[in-house]
Amino acid sequence: MKKKSFKGYIYLAPVLIIMLVFTAYPLVRAFIMSFYEDYNAVNGTYSGINIENYRALFASSDFRTALANTTIYVLFVVPLSVIISLLIANLLNSHIKFQGLFQTLYFLPYVTSVIAIGVVWRWILHSQYGLLNGILNFFGIESIGWLTDRRYSMASLIIFAVWKSLAFNIMIFLAALQGISPDLYSAARVDSTPRWRVFFRITVPAMGPIIAYAFIMGIINAFKVYNEVYALFNGAAGPNGYNSAITIVFYIYDQFYNNKKYGIAAAGSVVLFLLIMVFTMIQKLPAKIRARKEAAQK
Amino acid sequence: MKTKRLVAMGIAAVMGLNLLTACGNGSTSSSSGSGEGVTITFWHAMSNAQEQSLTELTDKFNAENGQGITVELVNQGAYKDLESKLTANAAADTLPDMAQAYNNYVTDYVDKIVPLDDFVKNDFDNWEDIVEGYRIENSEYGFISGLPFNKSTYPFFYNKTMFDELGLEPPKTWEDLETCGAVILEKKGIPMLGYDSMCDMLEIFLRQNGAQYVDETGALFNTPEGLEAVEFILGLYEKGYARLIGEDSYFSNLMSAEQIAGYVGSCAGVTYIVTDNEGHEFELGVAPIAQGKYNAAYNAGTNLMMFTKDEAKQKAVWEYMKFLTSAESQVKWSIDTGYVPVRTSAYESDTYQEFMNGDTPGAITARAAYGQAPYGYVPSNYFKGANEIRNKVSDTLTMCISEGRTAQETVDALVQAIDEVVK
Amino acid sequence: MKSRKAVTVLVEIVKYVVLIAGALFTLLPFVWMVLSSLKSGGEIIMIPPTLFPKKVLFSNYVEAWTAAPFPRYFLNTVLVAGITTVGVLLTSILSAFAFARLDFPGKKIVFSLFMATLMIPGEMLLITNFVTITKLGWMDTYQAMIVPWLANVFYTYLLTQFFSSVPDALYLAAKVDKCSDLKFLFKIMVPMNKNAITTVAILSFIGSWNSFLWPLLVTNSKEMRVLSYGLVRFQSEAGAQYQLIMAASCILVLPIVVVYLILRKYILEGMAYTGVKG
Repeated sequence: MKKKSFKGYIYLAPVLIIMLVFTAYPLVRAFIMSFYEDYNAVNGTYSGINIENYRALFASSDFRTALANTTIYVLFVVPLSVIISLLIANLLNSHIKFQGLFQTLYFLPYVTSVIAIGVVWRWILHSQYGLLNGILNFFGIESIGWLTDRRYSMASLIIFAVWKSLAFNIMIFLAALQGISPDLYSAARVDSTPRWRVFFRITVPAMGPIIAYAFIMGIINAFKVYNEVYALFNGAAGPNGYNSAITIVFYIYDQFYNNKKYGIAAAGSVVLFLLIMVFTMIQKLPAKIRARKEAAQK
Repeated sequence: MKTKRLVAMGIAAVMGLNLLTACGNGSTSSSSGSGEGVTITFWHAMSNAQEQSLTELTDKFNAENGQGITVELVNQGAYKDLESKLTANAAADTLPDMAQAYNNYVTDYVDKIVPLDDFVKNDFDNWEDIVEGYRIENSEYGFISGLPFNKSTYPFFYNKTMFDELGLEPPKTWEDLETCGAVILEKKGIPMLGYDSMCDMLEIFLRQNGAQYVDETGALFNTPEGLEAVEFILGLYEKGYARLIGEDSYFSNLMSAEQIAGYVGSCAGVTYIVTDNEGHEFELGVAPIAQGKYNAAYNAGTNLMMFTKDEAKQKAVWEYMKFLTSAESQVKWSIDTGYVPVRTSAYESDTYQEFMNGDTPGAITARAAYGQAPYGYVPSNYFKGANEIRNKVSDTLTMCISEGRTAQETVDALVQAIDEVVK
Repeated sequence: MKSRKAVTVLVEIVKYVVLIAGALFTLLPFVWMVLSSLKSGGEIIMIPPTLFPKKVLFSNYVEAWTAAPFPRYFLNTVLVAGITTVGVLLTSILSAFAFARLDFPGKKIVFSLFMATLMIPGEMLLITNFVTITKLGWMDTYQAMIVPWLANVFYTYLLTQFFSSVPDALYLAAKVDKCSDLKFLFKIMVPMNKNAITTVAILSFIGSWNSFLWPLLVTNSKEMRVLSYGLVRFQSEAGAQYQLIMAASCILVLPIVVVYLILRKYILEGMAYTGVKG
């Protein structure tokens, strides 16, 4: 077998050095900062070392809302985005005309400017003149205050976020679909298996790893959502003074830049970090159990 | 071996960029002992016409100061961007020689501001000539922390065509607010009034009713006068005379589309009101805001602060500060930008008076600003948490209005929100 | 038989309807951006909003372009995005090779720590990194905009996946031929995975091209600013010149679209194998 040597570290050196300086070091600082009471990030002064920031964090109703919202967001946005992207990618991969054109069209949103996207979505979701309510009215459904009624803030955010994540997911799914060996499909054609069965029997299993990958990346990004909220509510975290769409990162950002409570912001990011770790570990659990079972059977 | 070389090459390639930057970037660090040949950096957040005028003034100063001082203007984006940049640079101890700043930007690094007391005492043409409210604002930290520069006030912008058609005058009193609001709502079906900033609206009404707003100890308006003011505000919204911005971005947009008959907001917003849109052509009017038992009008805008520790540079910065706040510069600056002069003598100068008698949007705005100048106050926000209080009050008040809560409930909610920050 | 054919036709129709509707929906912001960039300052804030400009104004582009030294910004953006991309490719290829092919003590731990950093919200690192940059004396330089982005866990992970899927036999054969690791990496691994590498390149380029907050923070002089900074100039507290923002956005996006169109084939193929070997 391959022998162990430190040669690997030579290859890793450039990445490791940069990450030590620009990721690990500030991370450790943030961790330490989270225990400083009344920390002033400008002068480096503080009034004590304790867990006051964490206590203030969990006592804050905004932070609790942020925790709940972020969880809702992760649970809805990620699966919805994956399912829709999978469907569209599958259609794009079937024998259609203008395939190249369609692929390009679906990619374009990925590069559209954030400011433009925000303005457009505020128009689409406008309660009086919005496109979405126009469509609902057409089907006889009453208008909804997407951006004015706090009960719908999260729904609006989820719609927007799903849309926003589509382009990238479609791209990677489409690519994966094109990588599936055609032999698999020709076998199915001989058997004249129905289309939906081909999809679930061949396509989905072959796509398994990339779907898992999209899930993990989706979850990590969903935990970090900030820009979407900011763009949708014009810099706030919900309509009419309510923080009904506040997310964890929005909360951290607000504490850091607007309220200048650096210690609380640091504590918030430590909690976020732990949360994402737990989530990704839970995700990996089924695979581990399976592996253990298999090992036991052998 | 090869790996090492490769990595080394990569790093060298990146470092090589130094050469590239060295020629492009006009580094300002050339420090100089005497007042001769000093270059100072000034960070600002002015754009469009404002930046244009500031550049003209600075070019003039650079050409004529006779002491070899060169001022380098650095635009740092909008106010928010400027604030973040100042905070970050304060942490790294790399603040610029001078910058525009609100007092609440610097609460975490007051010690890095150069006190201007000695400069003002020894070498300034008449501190008393500076409008009183600005003198108070710039002394809040217990020393003179800056000189006022770009100051604006919130007047009442309105659709003059619509007011004329209905035979209405812009409201002068609280009563007028109600009567005008009722007529416009009945005849046009739109609200008469909006406020760009909710927390500032609250402070205006409180002061006009003889109540106090807030200081570092917490909320001060849990009094009969305070309650009465809040009750009046809630009434305006409840009856439909005033509206919240809600899902629309700016009142200037709503005004341009004739969705609202008027609003109270920053003078700088006048350039964003479009009065010649097809189907929505109207004449713009600007008036002093309605007053209550007492007179009060809100002033906004940043001050010039000095940060450099180098004595020669401090002298140069001071020369430039004196120039920017001189009556002559202030007259040009105000006419170009719509800001209001910070000096009484600038207000009273012939050029400015002549300008105000014109009928350009700028002149009309200047007249209204002049009309309410005697009642101008600057909200105090020097204490820690001032920023957070602004946001919390705006949010809480908006929430109470949209839920139709009673005056007492609203006052209680506001007081609680403020006390949470202060304690 | 006939009904079966009818069903097939119906399925085809539904397919196109879904695709076109979906394309319209995803494209809407893009179209809106382009159309808005041609409107007048008055029309763009009309209520209810119009979709098509009543009068097409190409002058917005001229105005946006001349409002700031855009050619210089353009040059800077190309330089920063280009060098960052080349650099991050190099570091990611090297580290991906280490993770995929080499065995070294603590590999598992390093890899886990590596992946864990994906979960850090970048905003939290901002102030500390800013202070580091000033201590290095890198304020207002290209390297301040480039060096912190030269390590990317996401790209390293992606390339590790690809490199792992290259059969062991190839590597062992190369070893027998006394081919050095580095030679094997750049002569065999890299060419074999050129699609994947192209994909990482374009992702990195887009990311760097659009980055906004960091370049704004670490630059001061006009000569060092990048394109995304041009967008802020049309916004203020009192209002925004949306038509100029939109025009500037279009200017910003155009080069990316061109690059995408040129590299489209490689990108799709590059993504193709991520799924095959998970």
